[in-house]
Amino acid sequence: MDLSFSIWISMAMFSIGIIGVLAKRNALIFFLSIELMLNASNLLFVAFANQWGNQIGLIWVFFILVVAAAEAAVGLAIIIHLFRSKQVVDVDQFNELKG
Amino acid sequence: MSNIVQWTLGVVLVCSSLGIVLARNPVHASLSFLLTLLTLATYYLQLSAQFIAVMQVLVYAGAILVIFMFVIVLFQDAHYQLDQYKPKSSSILLLAAASAFLLTLAVLGRNFASVSPSQHRLPDDFGSVQSIGKLLYVDFFFPFEAIVLLFLVAVVGALYIARKGT
Repeated sequence: MDLSFSIWISMAMFSIGIIGVLAKRNALIFFLSIELMLNASNLLFVAFANQWGNQIGLIWVFFILVVAAAEAAVGLAIIIHLFRSKQVVDVDQFNELKG
Repeated sequence: MSNIVQWTLGVVLVCSSLGIVLARNPVHASLSFLLTLLTLATYYLQLSAQFIAVMQVLVYAGAILVIFMFVIVLFQDAHYQLDQYKPKSSSILLLAAASAFLLTLAVLGRNFASVSPSQHRLPDDFGSVQSIGKLLYVDFFFPFEAIVLLFLVAVVGALYIARKGT
């Protein structure tokens, strides 16, 4: 596998994730886009670990996996809480903190 | 042969990532995300990171996506309300921002295109459960314990946030 090919794929996935965060109003798809960006960075870690034959990159991927799981738990709890208070999943509707 | 595998995986990865963003139905989006995760696991196997590939399937596809599915089912009728309001952000500005971002990435990516392929010979046990476990429990023991503590705090916090009657 080519390193530059992996970098290209990772960049494409990350930018698609950013576009999803910017463009989507559904809170759940918003969240899936964030997970997509985390996966793009994971791919980059694995590709570079393979390039240099160094397994510490794989340890970082493991840590990112755990942090992603924790983030999913907390984030979905927040989404459930927001849904209970307003009965919508549209992120444009949650603007109480707007100055 | 390896070239065909690489290009197939790459095309499937980009298309399924686009599927997440373009899908209107959140169930379709999460199924597209499942395809992304499984393809990514195959990609990791190609990069000889077996342990990470298995963890990817177990943790992401097995645990995180199942929670997503539960929450999507919980909000079933809320997704249909999305179309009733007009979005507040202008789509033209959004498109301009996205294309500017992609252009920046393309310029950056040209620098990476000339990276030479790996000269290193990978060790025989690269990415195996045994060597990763040894690294994790010997060299990275304290970060590992710290991440366990973080996960515990996150679970307690999630239960606290999502409880009824606040």
